[in-house]
Amino acid sequence: MAWNEPGGKGNPNDPWGNNNRGGNNNRGNQPPDLDEALKQLMDKLNGLFGGGKRNNNSNGGSTGGSGGFIGILVVVLGIVLVFNSVYTLDEQERGVVMRLGKYQETVNPGLHFKLPLLDQVIAVNTTAVRTLEIRERMLTEDENIVEVELNAQYRVADPVSFALRIEQPERALQVAAQSALRHEVGSAIMDQVLTAGRAELADRIQIRLQDYLGRYQTGMVLTNVNIKDARPPEQVRAAFDDVQVAKLDKERIINEAEAYANAVVPEARGRAQRQLEEARAYKERLIARAEGEAERFNKLYAEYRRAPQVTRERLYIESVSEVYTNASKVLVDVKGGNNMMYLPLDKLMQNMPAAPGSTGLTSADFSRLTDQVLNELRTRQGATQTNTVRREGR
Amino acid sequence: MSPKALLSLIVLGGVLLLASQGLYVVKETERAIKLKFGEVVEADLQPGLHWKVPFIEVVKRFDARVMTLDTNPSRFLTAGKKYVIVDAFAKWRIKDVRAYYKATSGSRLEATNLLAALLNKGLRDGIAGRTLHEVVSGERDALMTILTAQLNEQTQVELGIEVLDMRVKAIDLPEDLSRSVYNRMAAERNREAREHRSQGQELSEGIQADADRQKVVLEAEAYREAEQTRGEGDAEAARIYASAYNKDPEFYAFTRSLKAYTESFRQNDVLLLEPSSDFFRYLKDAQGKQ
Repeated sequence: MAWNEPGGKGNPNDPWGNNNRGGNNNRGNQPPDLDEALKQLMDKLNGLFGGGKRNNNSNGGSTGGSGGFIGILVVVLGIVLVFNSVYTLDEQERGVVMRLGKYQETVNPGLHFKLPLLDQVIAVNTTAVRTLEIRERMLTEDENIVEVELNAQYRVADPVSFALRIEQPERALQVAAQSALRHEVGSAIMDQVLTAGRAELADRIQIRLQDYLGRYQTGMVLTNVNIKDARPPEQVRAAFDDVQVAKLDKERIINEAEAYANAVVPEARGRAQRQLEEARAYKERLIARAEGEAERFNKLYAEYRRAPQVTRERLYIESVSEVYTNASKVLVDVKGGNNMMYLPLDKLMQNMPAAPGSTGLTSADFSRLTDQVLNELRTRQGATQTNTVRREGR
Repeated sequence: MSPKALLSLIVLGGVLLLASQGLYVVKETERAIKLKFGEVVEADLQPGLHWKVPFIEVVKRFDARVMTLDTNPSRFLTAGKKYVIVDAFAKWRIKDVRAYYKATSGSRLEATNLLAALLNKGLRDGIAGRTLHEVVSGERDALMTILTAQLNEQTQVELGIEVLDMRVKAIDLPEDLSRSVYNRMAAERNREAREHRSQGQELSEGIQADADRQKVVLEAEAYREAEQTRGEGDAEAARIYASAYNKDPEFYAFTRSLKAYTESFRQNDVLLLEPSSDFFRYLKDAQGKQ
């Protein structure tokens, strides 16, 4: 009897959910096929024995005919039975053995024997880690809506429960996972779900879901639960993204301001340094010059004390001669005032190159100046005859 | 073949027939009851090989595994007069096979319908007495425990069903309410975004103003110190000059004037001179007599 053969009111689904574990299914399905085949064989035998005396069939009608036929049948039957009673279990699998429908034992991987027709073995993979993924949109505690994608990994720890105690264990898991996920998200505020609280949330979901799985006798154990993705729903994603952009904007503005500060302050410090250094330079220069000049004066003064008159005279004559050597001179020896003198000062000035000190004076200024000088000379000639008129070039 | 052998064959056939009709197996996943002319004679047959009287007794088998009842999402009204769409499920299994058979005549569909109706009623009452917040988060576990217990009270007796657990799979808001939630969420985000930007502006202004202040202060302090330094230089120089020149102010005036003369007159300056000056003393007279 196949454990998953449609029963009185049972449903045709097997607990594996679908056909992706065909290998196991086939093994599980073998007995009913043979069952039926044997039944048919029995029927045929009955028929044969019923009319067996009259038609000796293909065995050639020899005297030991029916005995030989039975012998062959027994051998064939024996072979079929032996084949049907030996099975192996993979390292990943545990076998749930049922005798006449009743659970007998759970067997470990390896070569095993079972009673033909009476025993039935369901092989359950207990080591493979399977994955369940669900994505749900749900309410949080603060009545926001979030979208969460959950990834749960599990394996079958108790093959007996998994195979016998619950209908459609994987669907049961799916439903329970949805409930656990929504429950825990519903008890958390949105910010926790979306950001920091994710790992903790996943832990709580795992504990809750494991509790459900135990209650429903699924025989499954969660190995890992994590929240793959948690995000706001499509309708508000733009607003959420804008918050991220705003955070970046904030940082950018602050960085720009800091860049400004980092540029302005050191520059100012540099300029301040320059100002100070210039001031120090001024000070040092002034003092050095003062010391130099003072020392020069002292040296000269020492000599002057020794011969005041001569030194004084010498200094005077040297200096004045230097002055006179450099400048153009007009020596005027005017006596009596009877002869008029004409000084072409403007011509003299025109001969000069445009010396820096004399800029700003036009020829008109000069002719006016010349007139003034001449007038002055004339008036003075009238009064006192000895007068020196000097015109400085600055 | 002798008649004896024929007889034995007939007996064998009869036994086989009897066995095929009388022996039956209850599987590990099943519970069964035995009926005799429609009357239950043996309830709760355990897994294994059993015997019944052929043609007289009938065996009915039921799936004894834990089963899932998944309701359709439907609208419920909470205490806060808000509609929510609730999708619930229950885990159940047959507890009392006789009661189950009596209540449902063994039809799983009917059992499911009965259970769903009870669950729906319990859920409606439970949710009606609570606010949305309580249903969604706070009292969810407590509510489910109460509802499960209530459900069990009825189902165990009436339906022979044990409800292991009932859970709300989903509590969602209807479309129009969801939209207003979205609008509120978006508004909150906009506020947050504006806050971030304004804070950025604030900090930025603060940093820049601080930098500007530092700049002004640095320059002012530098000016102060520079002027002090220059003043010190001036003072020191004046002291040095004074200490030197005080020895003979007249001689200083003399030398300084001479220096000034040589520095002030440059080439191409024109000097209008009278020979009677001291410098020209010897120009007309070797004795220097004017």
